Amino acid sequence: MRLLPREMETLWTLFTAPIIWAVHFLVCYVGAAIYCAKPGLFGFGFGAVRGGIGALTAVALVLILLSAWLAWRQWGFGAEDPPHDDATRRDRRLFQGFATLLLCGLSFVAVIFVALPALFMTECLR
Amino acid sequence: MSAVDTKPATGRHEAQTKRLRSVWANPTGWRYWTSVNNYQVGLWYASAAFGFMLFAGILALLVRLQLAVPENDFLSANFYNQAFTLHGTVMMFLFAVPIFEAVAIFLLPPMLGARELPFPRLGAFGFWSFLVGGIFVCGSIFFGAAPSSGWFMYPPLSTDKELSGIGADIWLLGLSFIEIASIAAAVELIVGIMKCRAPGMRINLMPLFAWYLLIVAGMILFAFPPLIAGDLLFEMERMFDWPFFDAARGGDPLLWQHLFWIFGHPEVYIIFLPAIALMAMIVPTFAQRPIVGYSWIVLAAVGTGFLSFGLWVHHMFATGLPQISLAFFSAASEAVAIPTGVQIFVFIATMLAGRVIFSVPMLFGAGGLAIFIIGGLTGVMVALAPFDWQAHDTYFVVGHLHYVLVGGMLFPVIAGVYYYYPLLDARKLSERLGTIAFWLMFAGFNIAFFPMHISGLRGMPRRVFTYPAGLGWDWLNLISTLGAFIFATGVLIVVVDVLRPKHREPRREVNPWNAGTLEWITEPEENWGVRSIPQVESRYPLWDQKTLARDVNLGRFYLPDAEEGRREGLVTSVLDANPLQVLRVGGTAYVTIVSAFSLGAVFIALTFHWWLATLACGIIAFCAIVYWLWTGTGEIPEKPEKNVGLGLTLPLYSSGPASAGWWAMFITMTGDGTALASLIFGYFFYWTIHPDFTAGIAGPGAFWPMAALVLFAAAWLLMLAARAMNSRGATTALRTCLALSGALTIAASAAAAYAPWSYDMDPVRHVYPAIVWILVLWVLVHAALGAVMQFYCLARSVAGRLTPEHDMDLHNVVLYWHFLLVTAATVLTVVGLFPMAM
Amino acid sequence: MAAGGLVIWSAVMCVLLHAARPGRSPLGETGARRLIVWGGAVFPSATLLILLAYALWLMPGLRPAALAAGEEPLRIEVTGKQFWWRVAYHLDDGTSVISANEIRLPVGQRVELTLNSADVIHSFWIPALGGKMDMVPGRTNRLSLVATKAGNYRGPCAEFCGPSHALMAFSAVAMEPGGFRSWLAQQAAPSDASEGDGIDLFMKHGCASCHRINGTEAQGLIGPDLSHIGSRETIGAGILPNTAAAIARFISEPDVIKPGSKMPAFRMLPPEDIRAIATYLKGLE
Repeated sequence: MRLLPREMETLWTLFTAPIIWAVHFLVCYVGAAIYCAKPGLFGFGFGAVRGGIGALTAVALVLILLSAWLAWRQWGFGAEDPPHDDATRRDRRLFQGFATLLLCGLSFVAVIFVALPALFMTECLR
Repeated sequence: MSAVDTKPATGRHEAQTKRLRSVWANPTGWRYWTSVNNYQVGLWYASAAFGFMLFAGILALLVRLQLAVPENDFLSANFYNQAFTLHGTVMMFLFAVPIFEAVAIFLLPPMLGARELPFPRLGAFGFWSFLVGGIFVCGSIFFGAAPSSGWFMYPPLSTDKELSGIGADIWLLGLSFIEIASIAAAVELIVGIMKCRAPGMRINLMPLFAWYLLIVAGMILFAFPPLIAGDLLFEMERMFDWPFFDAARGGDPLLWQHLFWIFGHPEVYIIFLPAIALMAMIVPTFAQRPIVGYSWIVLAAVGTGFLSFGLWVHHMFATGLPQISLAFFSAASEAVAIPTGVQIFVFIATMLAGRVIFSVPMLFGAGGLAIFIIGGLTGVMVALAPFDWQAHDTYFVVGHLHYVLVGGMLFPVIAGVYYYYPLLDARKLSERLGTIAFWLMFAGFNIAFFPMHISGLRGMPRRVFTYPAGLGWDWLNLISTLGAFIFATGVLIVVVDVLRPKHREPRREVNPWNAGTLEWITEPEENWGVRSIPQVESRYPLWDQKTLARDVNLGRFYLPDAEEGRREGLVTSVLDANPLQVLRVGGTAYVTIVSAFSLGAVFIALTFHWWLATLACGIIAFCAIVYWLWTGTGEIPEKPEKNVGLGLTLPLYSSGPASAGWWAMFITMTGDGTALASLIFGYFFYWTIHPDFTAGIAGPGAFWPMAALVLFAAAWLLMLAARAMNSRGATTALRTCLALSGALTIAASAAAAYAPWSYDMDPVRHVYPAIVWILVLWVLVHAALGAVMQFYCLARSVAGRLTPEHDMDLHNVVLYWHFLLVTAATVLTVVGLFPMAM
Repeated sequence: MAAGGLVIWSAVMCVLLHAARPGRSPLGETGARRLIVWGGAVFPSATLLILLAYALWLMPGLRPAALAAGEEPLRIEVTGKQFWWRVAYHLDDGTSVISANEIRLPVGQRVELTLNSADVIHSFWIPALGGKMDMVPGRTNRLSLVATKAGNYRGPCAEFCGPSHALMAFSAVAMEPGGFRSWLAQQAAPSDASEGDGIDLFMKHGCASCHRINGTEAQGLIGPDLSHIGSRETIGAGILPNTAAAIARFISEPDVIKPGSKMPAFRMLPPEDIRAIATYLKGLE
């Protein structure tokens, strides 16, 4: 039995990477916002928040890479070029793979964008 | 699969055509307005939206006249504020969003090779709701009672009854009503696109318009509910003085800004993406080649859909939030430019790869692109917090947002009007008038809005009804006003071109632009969408399947007939569009209008605090909707299956996840869950801003909330049992389970209400009891609906409309109960246990 | 940024016009796809990344939390009200100097502004000196500024706050430190409290129930503080020149000059009374 079946026959895999981006974004934002609103609640400094964002970003990027690899596989490792517009199940799957791969790319870049603030912000300024 | 290539017996073909035509025909005379057909509803919807647009445009011209010279007294401050508030509100809520719903309702069925959207009556209901709400909101200005606190309605300016009169209530209630209609449209579009495509139209062959609309409808589902939740809090404050936004009693005006912009920023993309979707249909036609980078468009649509939810705080850069929060949103706001750039380059690449025929639609499309790119570039600038601190709330932003919305939405929509007009009338609009209109609009727009960037950078704030002379703003504003009138002249020419009588002009062929997609198959006079539902094998079937149009119109594909006199379409599978079921959709009906009008009356009566009228209209609306469901849904067909042609036999009934209704419930409840999530966000928001967010107020305790939760869980288990009993044919057990579950629901609701009640929590005193009460009320209302549904199932069972084989209603109600249980569990756990954890 | 934007826009327009040219040879499928990848994805991502990094790097410096070592800021509290500004200079000795609708700053010294609102949301903004910051009821926002050049700047309210939002402004006067110190000392002293018609009429017609004049019995706190009003640049929150005639006009018809303002109109008073009060107020240097 495989953990990840070779053929995922669903539309939802398309959204994996953007959902990872969304979770990463929300956790970063909500976490930092609560930390800055209730500093007394936590026993650690802002450096730990930045570290946490860094760690979370690494996890998100790895997950996106994993999903990109699955998409790449679904796309047949790029053996065929788009447009994947034949009326066959095969082309439909290739299209799904390619579109998912593109979304992984976008989400990867977007996660890096969202993580950038942790590089530059050193405290809860207002 | 290819259609049979023998000529059909002419007599039979004629008889089929006649039957089909009469089934889909519109009623005549004044009963024409009871039609629910997508062409009529789409056309009405679009006309009404354009009407509202012209109205808001006139308001904008008044605004520009007032600002033409410094210290002008053409308008009073009060009227000016009403005018700009209504201008923004109407353009956003009554034009930009509804026009896309209108176009989608009109175009999607023929584009997908479907007869109708799955819930035509819901579509008509949405239109009538929109019309009632829209007229109510717009009409208020003639009584000097229009909202005047800006389309963003920031409290406390808009919650204070002395500072904002009835206009604020009109805004809240009128628009809440329209938001509900939008969500109804979203449900219909999602189910339509996922389940009602022509056989063979796999997701890699779907027209790009459908891809965009699918994403946009999904966005509506997550963007509108936060605003509805915000409206609820807002109206509770205005009507009953619950202090959600009153700082003196623990509330916070910023919560509204969060909820409003969680809606407000995705809204921009909800407006923009469908217009770009029109471009994605127009560009390939005029380049006479398939789009280059189909998958890239899907990437852009999905990517924008997600990223657009990470932008909302960039409207709040100056509110004093921590810089790190601003930075996250600044980052996401920059990232969203990437998919937008991809979209633009897909169009450019497609044009480069083909030979472009420059006609009016293309002119508007390209002009829109030129304008939009400037808006995009200034958008990249204002998304950077340091720049925004300077530009925020100045005319720079006014310039930016109009470049985005006019270039990204209005110009493509007018391109769409010129492109799709032949679908209405079999004639094209005038090439000459269109060109003149384009250049007037293009030049006028830039003359009007470009100087605003400069006046903004020179420090001119937004929303000022007057300004002093000598600050370097005078001539810039005068130029803007001149430009606005040139622009308006262009719009007027478009209106003239559309409305002028054209019956003397010769009819053209059905597909005048030689487009490749299915909407160009049908004569404008026919109401049936497609004569027969084709088997699709290409992204551009009219280009690649040479005999398709002829075969469709000769009735050689699926469902060429209406033997039983019913309106029928096909349900197909999500990924590969394999035919699964024949879907019978509702036809002409009064009940949609009655429901929409009575529900509208509820909202209007609430505005004026006419409680008895509210109650009476509420009862009428409730009865109308129940009657609609009872007579129009879950109908048991006269035979289990039907031959749909080409040797295929499909079932006429299905329940559970295989049915369209189940999906509609699922999607609606997802939106409902989003609204609840917004309220819960509010609860924790209050927790973060106060050292002790309960302000020392006790309650609601843990016992009663937990008791209520246990009772709800028991009621839910009984619903599962009811479904199991029904499928085993144990009718008595089914009815017993339903009745018991109903009793438990009432007990659970009582326990939930008793929790804050027993502590005497007064929602007027402080925001903590108010937020607890609103969450509990949310559960109570949902529980009441759940109980109504249980009773409905019981009645259906007794009436013989719910049987072991025909259990669609029960499946949908159980699905509702899954969501109800999650709702109850979330709310009761949060209000019961969180205060103890703190 | 504007130049970069212009270059990008022009480049895209050139390509668009090229695409519209009749008779050009169509681009191949691969070339078109390459255009999407580089023009639509790679170039924007790289440019935006650089731009974002630069802006984020800028942010903490623009709105710093801690002061540089040895820096002694001036603390000013500004409260937004419909449609004027209450200004309080908090001095080191614990006393405060109250004023309205005008802010004076010493050149070269950091100013720490504390921003509040008494009714609805306003936004504090001196375009020439820095970005804006909202004044939100129930919240206290901070803003830190340094004026580098002496001058008289205008500051409008930047968040829509009601009918007279457009008529809510203040003047910000950046002065040389020496001049600022003597000005502040003068403001801290009681207003010229000459006995006479002016103050009597002011008290008699009830002006004192809302307005305060330092050194007199007028101690109302609802409306703007009128101590030393004669020395201000403008009256009515930045909308009228500071002359006796303008003050008189404001007293008799604030509802016309400033729709929605809380001040009742006094047009029923004898004109000579109004003129006397106006002259008195103008004389409070």
